[in-house]
Amino acid sequence: MRKIEVVTNVLKANDAIAQENRRLMEGAGATALNLISAPGSGKTTLLQRTIASLEPHSCAVLVGDLQTSRDAERLATETTEAVQINTGRGCHLSAEQVQAGLGKLKLEKIRFVFIENVGNMVCPTSFDLGEHRRVALLSVPEGDDKVAKYPTLFQTADCILLTKVDLLGILDFDMSRVESDLAEINSAAPLIRLSTKSGEGFEAWLAWLRGQQGTS
Amino acid sequence: MHEAAIAAELVEQVCLEAARHGIVQVTGVEVEIGALELIVPEALVQAFAMAAEDGVAAGATLTVTEVAPRARCRGCGEAYVPEIAYYRCPACGVADAELLAGRGIILKALHCETS
Repeated sequence: MRKIEVVTNVLKANDAIAQENRRLMEGAGATALNLISAPGSGKTTLLQRTIASLEPHSCAVLVGDLQTSRDAERLATETTEAVQINTGRGCHLSAEQVQAGLGKLKLEKIRFVFIENVGNMVCPTSFDLGEHRRVALLSVPEGDDKVAKYPTLFQTADCILLTKVDLLGILDFDMSRVESDLAEINSAAPLIRLSTKSGEGFEAWLAWLRGQQGTS
Repeated sequence: MHEAAIAAELVEQVCLEAARHGIVQVTGVEVEIGALELIVPEALVQAFAMAAEDGVAAGATLTVTEVAPRARCRGCGEAYVPEIAYYRCPACGVADAELLAGRGIILKALHCETS
């Protein structure tokens, strides 16, 4: 029996492509945001509203789902490019898929590349896509216990959005539980309470977003 | 859930390393996995066996060692060991952790029969 010491990063192929993606976007002056959450937390609606409030021609979206091009159809407009990435059986986007998606965009006009990951609070956290910032969404209907249940997502997030806060008075949701869990997991990332229906928190989100432009 | 994707990458790395060292049959593979990667070792072993079928690592035994997380507080610089859902710095109480260990998936070693 022979043992050969190797020591190599298993995700180095993904990480190397992620680094290329990041450099490509930086070279074009674009900032990339990786949006991660459970399915149905409001990523696509948030992006529709966000892009309409920024300059739509300066935004592009790469959107991952197992099947269908429904999200890209919702997000693409005359001025905004949206590329659907179907992962088939894959539970997360990979840097390679994002690289292929970036190849379809005219990056020189783009300031923000929004990468809407596959709805999943676990797997996407392990894969660097080349983003500059990671945004985690948690919607009120999902429940106030999810930060502690899926800590890695919230620990690695640069910004945390609590969405659908217009439902706060309707559903049982203990805000202090979210706040105390975040105090133990990630107290550096801002927590923005947001409703695309009422508009609450939207200006704070846009201000945070604009603040990330050109920073790496 | 993402064990299948990790296993596919792992098999690829194992094949590359085996070719580099002139190994025709890998009998064992050792990996270290950061505890924060949320990987279920049993699921990875199963996914690895499937991904390795018909290749140089077919039938190889996968041994997974979990690496405990280590962090440095971005606030005060204290080095400490966080838990998976508790990152508060023991010195200043802030949860702003730069992770020094606990992430990553490292292929450590291959085993093969000596010829």
